[in-house]
Amino acid sequence: MVQFIIRKIAAGLVVLCAISFLTYFLLYFSSSNIARNILGEYASQEQVAQKETELGLDQPLPARFLDWAGHSITGDFGRSWFTGEPVATAIATRLPITLTLVIAAILLIAVLATVLGMAAAVKRGWIDRVVQTGAIVGDAIPGFVLAIILVTLFAIQLKLFPATSSIAPDAGASAWAASLTLPAIALVINGVTGGAQQVRSAVIKQLERDYVRTLRSRGIPEREILFKHVLRSAAPTGLTVLSLQFIGMLGGVVIIEQIFALPGIGNLAVQSTTMGDIPLVMGVVLYTVVIVIIVNLLVDLINGWLNPKVRVS
Amino acid sequence: MKFGPKAAGAAIFLSAALALTGCGGGGSATGSGNGGAATTSLTIAELGDLPSFDPVDAHIGHTMPYYQAVYDTLLIRDADGTISPMLAAEKSWNADNTVLTLKLRTDAKFTDGTPVDAAAVKANLDHFQQAKGRDVYQVASMASVAVVDPSTVAITLSTPDPAFEYYLTQAAGFVASPKAIGTPGIKTDPVGSGPYKLDTASSVKGSQYVYTKNPDYWNKDLQKFEKVTIKSLPDITARTNALVSGQIDGALLDPKTGKQAEGAGLVLTKSEVDWHGILLYDRDGKINPEMANVKVRQAINYAFDRKTILDQQFLGQGTPTSQVFGPDSGAFVADLDNRYSYDPAKAKQLLAEAGYPEGFTLKIPTMAGFEALNAVYSQQLSDIGIKVQLESVPQANYVGDMAAGKFAAATFQLYQGEPWVAINQMISTSALYNPFKSTNPEIAALVEEVHVGGENSSELAKKVNTYVTENAWFAPLFRLNQMYYTSKKITVEPQLQQAVPSIYNYAPAK
Repeated sequence: MVQFIIRKIAAGLVVLCAISFLTYFLLYFSSSNIARNILGEYASQEQVAQKETELGLDQPLPARFLDWAGHSITGDFGRSWFTGEPVATAIATRLPITLTLVIAAILLIAVLATVLGMAAAVKRGWIDRVVQTGAIVGDAIPGFVLAIILVTLFAIQLKLFPATSSIAPDAGASAWAASLTLPAIALVINGVTGGAQQVRSAVIKQLERDYVRTLRSRGIPEREILFKHVLRSAAPTGLTVLSLQFIGMLGGVVIIEQIFALPGIGNLAVQSTTMGDIPLVMGVVLYTVVIVIIVNLLVDLINGWLNPKVRVS
Repeated sequence: MKFGPKAAGAAIFLSAALALTGCGGGGSATGSGNGGAATTSLTIAELGDLPSFDPVDAHIGHTMPYYQAVYDTLLIRDADGTISPMLAAEKSWNADNTVLTLKLRTDAKFTDGTPVDAAAVKANLDHFQQAKGRDVYQVASMASVAVVDPSTVAITLSTPDPAFEYYLTQAAGFVASPKAIGTPGIKTDPVGSGPYKLDTASSVKGSQYVYTKNPDYWNKDLQKFEKVTIKSLPDITARTNALVSGQIDGALLDPKTGKQAEGAGLVLTKSEVDWHGILLYDRDGKINPEMANVKVRQAINYAFDRKTILDQQFLGQGTPTSQVFGPDSGAFVADLDNRYSYDPAKAKQLLAEAGYPEGFTLKIPTMAGFEALNAVYSQQLSDIGIKVQLESVPQANYVGDMAAGKFAAATFQLYQGEPWVAINQMISTSALYNPFKSTNPEIAALVEEVHVGGENSSELAKKVNTYVTENAWFAPLFRLNQMYYTSKKITVEPQLQQAVPSIYNYAPAK
């Protein structure tokens, strides 16, 4: 078990290094005018050159990357080139908003997709048709279109929720909930419809297995078969889908945060990328990759716990 | 949405009951603005976050209101562009316009209790110059600041600067407490003498800043609200939604989103701030030898059907023009507006006279937001024989690439500032938007006249305007309307040459 975790973490570290280098490499090519952008239109060429030296922009790519990597290993991610805000602080203030949103959405997806998927698999009939059609429709509607529809309907017409975030430190839990409800729904719909479809097929597959027939023949109640045995065997499929959705959501949340003006990581990513604020972009990338690695690890561990066969491989 | 008769009846009863209690209550202090007392709070949205509250980081344009709420400036620029006293009650220049003496008002105090005096002003100006922030060019001509007496400062310039008073109404004019300047704390917790104080507990970086009335403020006329909230909403959809849903009272939209706002009953305030067009940089023919010929540059000017492009691309929100100076800049020459009317035949003739009857190829950059416009411009130029090659440039590199002289011409949008500001932005040899440093004795002499012109500098700038228009240094197409929408709870006065109004321009609707 310990060996399994260590192997996973080591693989994660390799991915982390590869992604940071690749990102840095890509940013390098769009960094030619950063000093000018920081100093503004009226700065002299000398000032620009001085700033470039100060930021190390005059160094070759490998030297710049190693300098950044060296500091990052010690936990020093530097400061934003444009605002001077420490990268760690910038991320620490925005991460809770994004994570609250994404985790809330994932939990909702997990519950709703399981309930709908199982209902469709067991009852079949109209529920099944609704779930099947929903999967197609849900996949076809992009999250941002849904977000705009939700805002128009629930914020502008009915005035039930704020159209843009009103999260503030002194705002309290109800303001958080109100601000996050519409974005969470916009994120959840695709996941629920897609997830329900996956759970449905996994459960149907399990229900056709011999062990279910055996259990039934031994007179075990249908409910117990379903929840104790079938669901447990079908869970790995669901979990894998869920983890993929979680990772996909870290991308989808970028657009959702723009529409709802949520001051989260996605918003920070968009702003820092358009400005070419390399320390901030790198910070966002690192944190996101770490989150992805942790989620994957957790899913592997849960799968192992649910199904001992996975642990061995 | 449809209600049954019972629900409708209940709603009527309820609203009648509310109306009655409202009448009987006798003037509540915190009216909501729905036909009752005037509102006491203002919530507006800006297009972006500010880097920090350090005045050194202040930058002309969209982020100014964030600073204006907490800091006073030495001079204030009224909505119509007139420069009036603020912290400096009186100003006077010496004979050759190189020493500006400011007499400060004595009743202003910073929110930490320190008085606003000559030493504080000197400390701020010196710090602004040394810290080399984004707008440090505003004090480029400043040689020294002297404390004459506790309420008088004398600013000596190394060379006359016709825009210096204007700069003292902008970033260079912000005065922060001398105890706070240069400390890291000022970045998030500003200490100024302004009409409002920042409420750090309710503010979130990157999202919103909340301000409350400064109880000790010297000018109650500038404190029209108990509470001011400025939200950062870079996304135009988010801005429109926030405005239409009533979450905010004012924001800058564009012609397309404006339709939606008008449908929701919001009030439009228009002002022409930017000019949009093509900057014909390569007047010496370094990249495109053809561009060195004035007839070629004039031909380009004749190629555009400005009115139609404006109607189609900007829903008619603006005015076609052939000059780069705005109507309120002082350097405006009315006749120049129609100098180059749409005339492709004349354009072809000019190209032929210049020796290019077959036209030539011109490479111009394009970026996100300019694609549709550049497609139209390419089409119009190809009609007169100029083949345009569009090269995509990342947004962050666009200005830098232009400034580095990588393109002979480029589509852009610039604000129409004070004449001296505008000259140093795109005409003088040190201007960023004059990448090839185009000059000749004639224009250099005209620019110098403005430089030393003192009070006549605006009038003298008309000659510069005429020169660059006649010699087709640019291909200006139109002055665009900035479309600022407000709710009925407040009123706003547009600020000259600013896309967003200054914080002082808002008032509760009566």
